[in-house]
Amino acid sequence: MTERVARAALSRLSEPGDTRLSTLVGTLGAAKVYALLRDEEDVAGVSTDVATRLRGLDPERELEAAGARGIRFICPGDAEWPGWLSDLDHAEPLQGRGGAPLGLWARGPLSLAEVCRSSAAVVGSRSATTYGTAVAADIAAYLANSGVGVVSGAAFGIDQAAHRGALATKGQTVAVLACGVDRPYPAAHKNLLDYIVDVGLVVSELPPGCSPTRLRFLSRNRVIAALTQGTVIVEAAVRSGALNTAGWALRLNRQVMGVPGPVTSAPSEGVHHLIRTRDASLVTRGEDVLELLSPVGSFLTPDARGPDRPRDALTEREQRVLDAVPLFRGASPGSIARTAGLAVPDVREVLTRMRGKSLVEGADDLWRLAGQ
Amino acid sequence: MAVATARTISLQGATGYLIDVQVDLSQGVVKTAMVGRPDASISEARDRCRAAVTNSGFDWPATRRVTILLSPADLPKRGPHFDLAIAVATLSAAGKVPPGALAGVVFIGELTLDGRLRSVPGVLPMTMSASNRGIRCVVVPEPQADEAALVPGMTVLGVRSLAQVVAELNGQEIPVAPPVEPLASGPLLSWRGDERIADLDMRDVLGMADARYALEVAAAGGHHLMLSGPKGAGKTTLAERITSLLPDLTLEESLELSAIYSLAGCLPPDQTMITRPPFRAPHHSASRASLLGGGSGRVRPGEVSRAHTGTLFLDEFPLFNADIIEALRQPLESGEITIARGEESATFPARSMFVIACNPCPCGDYHPTNRDNRCTCAEVKRREYRRRISGPIADRIDITRHIEPVRPYEMFDPLGRPEPSAEVRRRVTAARLAQSQRYAGTAWRLNADVAGPALRKSWPLTDEADRHLTERVYSGELTRRGATRVHRLAWTVADLAGVGVPGMRELDVALRLRTGEPMSVATLETARAG
Repeated sequence: MTERVARAALSRLSEPGDTRLSTLVGTLGAAKVYALLRDEEDVAGVSTDVATRLRGLDPERELEAAGARGIRFICPGDAEWPGWLSDLDHAEPLQGRGGAPLGLWARGPLSLAEVCRSSAAVVGSRSATTYGTAVAADIAAYLANSGVGVVSGAAFGIDQAAHRGALATKGQTVAVLACGVDRPYPAAHKNLLDYIVDVGLVVSELPPGCSPTRLRFLSRNRVIAALTQGTVIVEAAVRSGALNTAGWALRLNRQVMGVPGPVTSAPSEGVHHLIRTRDASLVTRGEDVLELLSPVGSFLTPDARGPDRPRDALTEREQRVLDAVPLFRGASPGSIARTAGLAVPDVREVLTRMRGKSLVEGADDLWRLAGQ
Repeated sequence: MAVATARTISLQGATGYLIDVQVDLSQGVVKTAMVGRPDASISEARDRCRAAVTNSGFDWPATRRVTILLSPADLPKRGPHFDLAIAVATLSAAGKVPPGALAGVVFIGELTLDGRLRSVPGVLPMTMSASNRGIRCVVVPEPQADEAALVPGMTVLGVRSLAQVVAELNGQEIPVAPPVEPLASGPLLSWRGDERIADLDMRDVLGMADARYALEVAAAGGHHLMLSGPKGAGKTTLAERITSLLPDLTLEESLELSAIYSLAGCLPPDQTMITRPPFRAPHHSASRASLLGGGSGRVRPGEVSRAHTGTLFLDEFPLFNADIIEALRQPLESGEITIARGEESATFPARSMFVIACNPCPCGDYHPTNRDNRCTCAEVKRREYRRRISGPIADRIDITRHIEPVRPYEMFDPLGRPEPSAEVRRRVTAARLAQSQRYAGTAWRLNADVAGPALRKSWPLTDEADRHLTERVYSGELTRRGATRVHRLAWTVADLAGVGVPGMRELDVALRLRTGEPMSVATLETARAG
């Protein structure tokens, strides 16, 4: 039995994020682990758990049947296996789950490794506001247009907005599901998932046919965080799956970025907390995200600044004189000097200089601001 | 005793008064006197009637003193439609028509010198008011018989000339007469005026999910709506499509609106009933009289009344005259408008949905939530511009929405399928049905109409939601009026969602609609799925 078939078999036997299995496979190899389990030898307490699933399991046929439906199994050793997923093996488990996936079931024309080599996760609340979905779609569209893959979970709210933003620019997007890639979940997003299968990539740790459960969503989040270089959180309430994704990204030393919302808005509270505790960098647009994801210094967004005004370059003395020059009716250098609190000869000299810069107009004894 | 009485109707605004036209023929100085506060157009009736009677083959009582009294004498009376009643009363006093034939009939029509009838504006409201006074038969110029016949239970006689009226009253054979011209002329040019609005559909509007939902709620409950946003963002595009979300008028609404159009003299000649809700979009340079009603002579309903049961779209609202803006408070709040001048005051219905559009600043580019704004206005100018929408006006607007220009991703979204108007209209119609059932037997039709105290007493929110709303009032976030308006909005949100009593969720949506906060995506998705 090949390593690949064994991994596919193990993905059917185990629940995603089972650290016992990922450790075993890391040390013994998948084929060996599978053989042991099949012979009902207890390894690290796994075999009793999987006994009921062992019956009738035929991984070769399953891979074949999946292949016939356009579903492939990607695992370490494949060209499109993103090697950086192994970072999960070194990260501390969160809520009892962790470890790199044994493999990923995938549907869609893109190569997973190629899309995710430069990619960002854009995730957030399912109960989002239109503010959140607009920002998420905007950021996703910018990233996708800049060649950065957009990874998300195809859920309601922010997730779907992120996918659609990326799709709108004909960019690359990956949906990571918590159920089999053949199952449209949520059902209302069947059109979206079908479309992503046509032009992007839908992947899952779970073999075809599996249904989503609460725990599987948590395991899924770790894959989203691990696949990408950074995670952007747009709108997450204090108890939100998106914060779980952020937690994984932190563990994996990936960039965590948060888009702020109105301070009164409940769906933004979780993000604000992340920013306040300095776990997340504040980003407001695609450029900010790209700057954080790019190698240091290679993509810098210009600092926001207003337009230059001629007055900006003046010395303090010149500004004092300028403030003293009347708007309409001209004044004498003497009166300007009195208002400015400066000596008359200095004022004359400054006025002449500023006339050269077209800031004031006038002659020897009557001066006023220019262009009024 | 040579005295006879014929009856007609005098209109003040949309209120009709039954007028007795009494004619007395007696010995004395030969003279025709008209008393009872006629205006100039009625005083002229004396000469018109005399010529018309003579030219119809009858004798004017030229050797007697003719006294014409229009009573009640204290009401000012206007309009040329008194002619027919005066002529008929005179002929009856002279014995040409049996006095009994005039009882229970109302005569409406202007006479020409050769004794033919002319159409007059306001036949429908006059007939409606006659019907309210127990009159069961009206005589009107022939082209307007259809209009009068809209009033249930009314026998309508459409006639062409005075001679025909007299023959009818005497039970004789009706003489032939040339047909009467209809009041309004057909459009001179066939441009795509009103049809353009009828062709618009929400299907063609990309993005703007928030504003689309706001429009749906406004349409369902008849709520006033303010759309702000930079120029070119799509405020007008949206507002013009609001009519496509509204169901056809009910019979009652249709009668009211047709009556207003009849008063304004703009009922189309080939159409006696307006069945689609109107969309009126007066320009900001429109005069006070054209907008609110008035005009010289007879008080005519203005655009606010012509938009009754439909939409009044005021684009570039801050550019309207300050006194017009303030005068809109009354229709915004009470759904009617009173034009008072001198000794008369006319009230017209004006219960329409106000859709107010404004730019964020004079140049139209300012955009508080978008860093790409290219506004060139000074902050002072912006403040001045915004201040024109005064607090009291803003407080009377139920729904506020800021419109962002369509984003690129919305334009190219491969999965974006804007919902067609027919789908939305289906939900709006269902919500309106729920309201008409709830308010059956009251004077109200839509949530936006219901008076505050009655609303709180008979149709409260859930206890939890009510507490929450009251807290907002105590904390000063909402005025008392604002809270009532939010309460009404919550009902519309509930009606659209098919919820029995508005609770916290509906209240949250209503508050967001009022304050302009972004909507929750789930609200919009449930709305579409529902």
